[in-house]
Amino acid sequence: MLYIKDIVKTYKRGGGVRANDGVTIQVEAGEVVGLLGHNGAGKTTLINQVAGLTVPTSGTIRVDGCDPVAEPSKVRRMIAVMPQSHAPLTGVTPRQVIKSMARIRGMDKQAASARTEELIKDLDLGEWADTTGERLSGGVRRLTAFGMAAASPGKVVMLDEPTNDVDPARRRLLWEQIRALANRGCAVLLVTHNVIEAERSVDRIVVLDSGKVMAEGTAAQLRSRAAGDLRLELTAADIDGLPSLPEHIATAGAPLRTSRRLTVALESSGAADALAWAQRLRESQDIDEFSLVPVGLEDVYLDLVGAESTAAEEEG
Amino acid sequence: MRYWMSSYGLLLGWAGLRGRATLALNLVIQTCLAVGIIVGFAFLVPNLDAGTALYLSTGAPVLGLVTVGMVIGPQEVASAKQEGIFEFNRSLPVPRSALIASDATIALLTALPGMLAALVVAWLRFDLDLQISPLVVPAILLTAAAAIGIGYGIGYGLTPPIARMMSQLVVFVALMFSPIVFPVSRLPDWLAAVHAVLPFQYMAESVRNTLSVPPDGVRLMPFAVLAVWSLVGFLVAFRMMSRRT
Repeated sequence: MLYIKDIVKTYKRGGGVRANDGVTIQVEAGEVVGLLGHNGAGKTTLINQVAGLTVPTSGTIRVDGCDPVAEPSKVRRMIAVMPQSHAPLTGVTPRQVIKSMARIRGMDKQAASARTEELIKDLDLGEWADTTGERLSGGVRRLTAFGMAAASPGKVVMLDEPTNDVDPARRRLLWEQIRALANRGCAVLLVTHNVIEAERSVDRIVVLDSGKVMAEGTAAQLRSRAAGDLRLELTAADIDGLPSLPEHIATAGAPLRTSRRLTVALESSGAADALAWAQRLRESQDIDEFSLVPVGLEDVYLDLVGAESTAAEEEG
Repeated sequence: MRYWMSSYGLLLGWAGLRGRATLALNLVIQTCLAVGIIVGFAFLVPNLDAGTALYLSTGAPVLGLVTVGMVIGPQEVASAKQEGIFEFNRSLPVPRSALIASDATIALLTALPGMLAALVVAWLRFDLDLQISPLVVPAILLTAAAAIGIGYGIGYGLTPPIARMMSQLVVFVALMFSPIVFPVSRLPDWLAAVHAVLPFQYMAESVRNTLSVPPDGVRLMPFAVLAVWSLVGFLVAFRMMSRRT
């Protein structure tokens, strides 16, 4: 449904930076693909090119066979975009905007009303449905923006960080609705920073860094790229003062030290020995706590895009 | 065309919902401005003759339209750009011209009550004897359209900080240095020559001469100039709206 091949986008301003550098992604109808990457990775640039707002320097984009470069207005009628920025809600209520968007996207009056009520109920927005935008919290505004895109979603839906600011309970409802869009036959491309959420909720993941696709696949496929099966995480006030790891424990790579945490990649066979060691350290109060967890997508992600830039971004 | 009209109709409803907040704001600004000009300027000019009164009375509503169209308008567009609303609107499945037309229609409708309020203020203060021509309708509509069109041109055509600065410059020039509330003959020649191109004196003349028709009738040239300025403003806005980077 959405076909992106070898997209290169160079901005003349900013010294010829390649915002997208040979990106290839395909999203089928009924599929939710998560686009993962930190700020400046080129995610929003990619969305703008699919929406026909920006023209690629080279490469091919097809939305159900249509070229957004040649037929931008036709493509705009086939897609729905939820932008990263806030939607225009000043002076209008969630009910009014969702319904207006459904109508603008081609639904008749009755269908638009019905769809609006359905979304308000499914996203649990009833309490604020008739409150004007300036008095809504960031999370409710974001859910409303999702509702505006989902009202009459067309063939391809692109969501730019849809779950930001949304409370945990409604976040689950939001993920259900994203899945519901795919079940209706939409191809969903979803931009996010949140690796853990993406791991749980999307069908396939594309990791973008500095405009390039670093990895692509299901969460399980990406996890298989990581060294070892397990991670032992130790938390201590003085991480550098810890005794070094006994040699008989089967590790998979060098331990990773961050401010108060030591992370060791392990093979499954090393689990029992590692646990015993960690327990001894806690008894001797060398560490505050420890955990043994299966390798997560986050580990793979950090390997791919570099822990440093992610840490810098979290601070900034 | 049917697609354009249906998009325009739907967008009109959408812009109308958002425009309700602006309506009250515009009404207050335009009325206050009219009171300021009609009452305040009278302090500057101690012996008001009928001619001066006519200039103040008909100039005040024009300045109100200039303010909401060319000052508040670009500032709103600049904010919309910075908040990402401009990009959002660009991604909507509607013709861009319908988007601009619906916004402009709502801006026009929300500017008109304030214009009438300004005229009421003038009428209360000066008890004018007006000779109103039916051409007053196109005069007011074209003045508003030119103000809104140029305002959009400034807002869409320039970066937000420059657009904000321009809008400040517009109010400064319009209020103090434009033949809106005084005759052009009082300006030095070079400034009069500049105003032969700028839209301000044509806005003032078209409104003044259709509210109080002079003996030699209403000149149509100002209408033509205003139509051209509106067109230029809206074309710039449309160009920026459809531009792809």
